[in-house]
Amino acid sequence: MTRSFLSIRAVRKTFGAFVAVHDVTIEVPKGEFLTFLGPSGSGKSTTLYAIAGFQDPTSGDVLLEDKSLLSVPSHKRNIGMVFQRYTLFPNLSVAENVAFPLRVRRRPDAEVKRRVADMLALVRLENFADRHPGALSGGQQQRVALARALAYDPPILLMDEPLSALDKKLRQEIQAEIRRIHRETGVTILYVTHDQEEALHLSDRIALFKEGRIEQIGTGEDLYLRPASEFVAGFIGNSNFLPGEHLETAAGAATVRLADGSIITGLTAAEPFSRGQKVRLMVRPEALSLTPGPASTALQVDIVDTAFFGDRRRVVARTASGDEIDVRPTSDATDPAGAIAGSGRRIYFDPALAFLFPA
Amino acid sequence: MQGNSSRRGSVASLAAGSGSALPALLLVGLFFIVPVVALLLRSVTDPEPGLQNYAALFGSGTYVRVFLNTFLVAAVVTAVTILVAFPVAWMLAIMPPAFGSVVFGIIILSMWTNLLTRTYAWMVLLQRTGVINRTLMGLGIIQEPLPLINNLTGVTIGMVYIMLPFMILPLVGTLRAIDPMTLRAAALCGASPFQAFRRILLPLSLPGIAAGGLMVFVMSLGYFVTPALLGGTSNMMLAEMIAQTVRSLLNWGLGSAAAFVLLVITMALYALQLRLVGARRTGGGA
Repeated sequence: MTRSFLSIRAVRKTFGAFVAVHDVTIEVPKGEFLTFLGPSGSGKSTTLYAIAGFQDPTSGDVLLEDKSLLSVPSHKRNIGMVFQRYTLFPNLSVAENVAFPLRVRRRPDAEVKRRVADMLALVRLENFADRHPGALSGGQQQRVALARALAYDPPILLMDEPLSALDKKLRQEIQAEIRRIHRETGVTILYVTHDQEEALHLSDRIALFKEGRIEQIGTGEDLYLRPASEFVAGFIGNSNFLPGEHLETAAGAATVRLADGSIITGLTAAEPFSRGQKVRLMVRPEALSLTPGPASTALQVDIVDTAFFGDRRRVVARTASGDEIDVRPTSDATDPAGAIAGSGRRIYFDPALAFLFPA
Repeated sequence: MQGNSSRRGSVASLAAGSGSALPALLLVGLFFIVPVVALLLRSVTDPEPGLQNYAALFGSGTYVRVFLNTFLVAAVVTAVTILVAFPVAWMLAIMPPAFGSVVFGIIILSMWTNLLTRTYAWMVLLQRTGVINRTLMGLGIIQEPLPLINNLTGVTIGMVYIMLPFMILPLVGTLRAIDPMTLRAAALCGASPFQAFRRILLPLSLPGIAAGGLMVFVMSLGYFVTPALLGGTSNMMLAEMIAQTVRSLLNWGLGSAAAFVLLVITMALYALQLRLVGARRTGGGA
């Protein structure tokens, strides 16, 4: 077995009776981009703060290359961090901000100069060296913060929702920068966000947090294509949920009866269900199509609304039992709108992108 | 940005309210400017026209010593006040507002308590047979009473105590504007608590320290009650000297000259501070 790099072992944090983090365990290999994703208050930031040393876990341990970090104060952990708020030192210029971690480590002047130039080139802010943080835009400030955090070549870079204060266009721009910097430096990144698109865009792996626990950890594909729970399915990507009843499971393929009476077969069940158990069928909008397929995957619907988005359409359909379904057919994008409208239509879905969860 | 808008606001309200400011301006003119001019005139006319009062002031070793001592006391008091006030101000800046307002209330309350009462209280505490000396002797820490009163120590203790609110209040304002996350960032950058203080927190709090420091220094220069009660004859301060000159010696000319010199020095210091702070602002904002 290879030596572990960053190891978060059964970290637990309580505030009085409230348990913010329940025994979180994660192994992070060197060079990985791991994202902690989850709604606010799910414990993702608390876990990050335990690694940074801002909050001591109630129990558990954090090890870097087999040495515990917990007894090491923040300023000796050698960890880089970019914060949600702008935390540049307002009394120092951009270059002095980036030089700060090197100056406190008493590195020789020539090295500091070279390193600052390299870092500012990395975040493409060479021409801003003598500005003060107050004269920079939010996006530029976060790029300087990134340069500062990487200046002393830390083994781990923590990022706590660094883009949440920026507008959408700027966010995408800096996401691309972060990906490039991760590729170029090979630094291990732990990234906290509540934005699933950001997580999918950036990460090698995603740990999805819910109420202080990791609901599922895996690649973006794992979470999207093989969600472990209804929460994961609902949090990552768009989903339709249809209530129904489990009839039987044979050879791994489940059969259900939906609320409108239609029988669907060949479904993957997340866990064994008993006969007659209430279930919810989750279907991705892009797994639905108006192109005819097998009858075992057909739903009888009325088309309520269609909208054209250029590369795809969005169709809102309604079943006889009144459940609304969001359909995003790509293959039908060239169909004239009239062919999609109307009542008594059938839509078909790909069973590989449909999952059964307990109700 | 905030400073700019509030500055613009105050200029606007100044223009709008200039009519109603007239009584106050008259009051200041009549009861401040006129006496200062009278003071100046008296110092060069009493007992006869000429600069003999100023010559006496700067020619006599005694008076020069009083001036130097006044500056020494003011400087020591200012320095000690900054040292004592900073941790309190920092605590007030980072503590939850509900707690903070209680501590703030205690500080303000001390300002509202009669100055003479507070100074007499210090006499009770500091004198040879006072509470402090008796306690220390009772505990066997000292054999002889410490000289805590009628000297620089007594004046410093008493004045620092009175000046603290004037230092804490401007400092809290400056420190509250500093995001505590900035200091966490400094820590993760590898700065020890001392390095974070010296390189980040201290530079960022300098405007507050300068504002509070100047206020304390200027107030200390002209302070009368506390130095008179807690100080000794060997380190008399200027205000006490003026009082003696006028009251006991009835030498109004010399007293006026001393008061005028104090005023000029104070104004010079204020102008100097304005220049220094102004220079830093334009330099830092570029």
